[in-house]
Amino acid sequence: MLFVRKILLVAFIRDMRRNAGLAIVLAVSSASFSQATIQHARVELLAGQASVKPGSDLQLGVHFILEKGWHIYWINPGDSGQPPSFEWQLPPKFTAGEVQWPRPERLQPSKELVDFGYSDEVLLPLTMHVPSTVGNTRQLEFGVQVKWLVCREVCIPEHANLHLTLPVSSAERADHQHAQLFANTDKLIPKSLPRAWNASVTSAKNDFVLTILAGGKPITQAEFFPRDSAQIDNAAPQKFQQTSHGAKIALKKSDLLVKPITVLRGVLVIAGGPPYRIEAPVRQPIQ
Amino acid sequence: MNHRQPFILWACALLALIASAFAVKVGEPAPGFTAVDSNGKQERLSDYKGKFIVLEWHNQGCPYTRKHYESGNMQRLQKEWTAKGVVWLTVISSAPGTQGFVTPTQENDYLKTMNAAPTAVLMDPGGSLGRLYAAKTTPHMFIVDPGGTLIYNGAIDDHPTSDQRDIAKSKNYVSAALEQALGGKPVTEAATRPYGCSVKYKD
Repeated sequence: MLFVRKILLVAFIRDMRRNAGLAIVLAVSSASFSQATIQHARVELLAGQASVKPGSDLQLGVHFILEKGWHIYWINPGDSGQPPSFEWQLPPKFTAGEVQWPRPERLQPSKELVDFGYSDEVLLPLTMHVPSTVGNTRQLEFGVQVKWLVCREVCIPEHANLHLTLPVSSAERADHQHAQLFANTDKLIPKSLPRAWNASVTSAKNDFVLTILAGGKPITQAEFFPRDSAQIDNAAPQKFQQTSHGAKIALKKSDLLVKPITVLRGVLVIAGGPPYRIEAPVRQPIQ
Repeated sequence: MNHRQPFILWACALLALIASAFAVKVGEPAPGFTAVDSNGKQERLSDYKGKFIVLEWHNQGCPYTRKHYESGNMQRLQKEWTAKGVVWLTVISSAPGTQGFVTPTQENDYLKTMNAAPTAVLMDPGGSLGRLYAAKTTPHMFIVDPGGTLIYNGAIDDHPTSDQRDIAKSKNYVSAALEQALGGKPVTEAATRPYGCSVKYKD
């Protein structure tokens, strides 16, 4: 019974199309499980641990389970759309880390437009640093206001206020129900390139050519997702070329790119491999 | 087989040429077009040579378009700039059966209800004008100068949300560009990422 936590989740949703207000209040008093069913999505605030240990790191995450055909967006949404945003209400002296965005999927609303986002389900996790003293309290409450845009052919802005209460404990306890979800999500979060690898970019007239040196091994297939908007043409086919030491990918420049860039940031997804974070210096063309 | 390859190469080259000819880049000539407006009148870009022209991609059901119309922001801009001699062309590229597709009558009713004041609304259900300009979102804004050069391509402002409350704290890129251009100055923020719903092209 030590593990029993009270989880209260309140979601307030406004249907923009009908201009009608609808409030859903859901209270669950059991293990770490909270959810709200909202138009086209179920949204939960989850913890990777069953309790909060002072002086440690706590994994929290907002979990979206989307209705078939509907999607939400990555931090760079691509040609249209908007990424979810989070406003945290935390106990004193807690600090929220940055949301770790799993690798996105390519979404194509029409042949000339490409967006980046998630369908089916996604956990957007972040790490909270727990102060070494949390005061004389047996439980702590975490809150977040999440705003997101959910789209199929049409888009609907939504928001929900999610709350989660966790007991304080000097021992660290994994939440068996959700630890697996956090672990699976971690595999989708881009990591630094291996030490022996290297990424660099040459700026050609119409393309950025991203060269990956993969420790002397060829890469058979890979896709690049730009972190920043208005640099590459999202819908243009990426010209992939395997090399003996890795790969080269030619990325068409965006019509909206008017100034030279010094760094190309993004995510490289290698077929059958983990996603990598790219921050490649850009060499300007030789005049 | 040997004959096919040069043909494919040639076809690719031609496609590339077409694609580059259709690129809409700030500092380059804005592509010319003819379109029919919501009153059945033919409108040509060249009809307005000598004037500044704003193109506004529109979808009345899109939450981002609604942000700017239900707040009155877009109408305010239309009135302010057309009063200063700017031509304001709203463009609807939603294909039939998609969100934002309207008949000319429905559009004229909407303009009246919303008290909107564009110079004309161009009906583009086939999406050819949208594709010509590579319009991505609603709204997506373009500005053409009196010499026919594109001087702005991008968002309406710097708050990519659907929340009306953000308008007051936003920098309006269209007004900023028009103020600079009408004052004979170069536009400092001439290309930004447009934000909103995707343009509902027919596939």
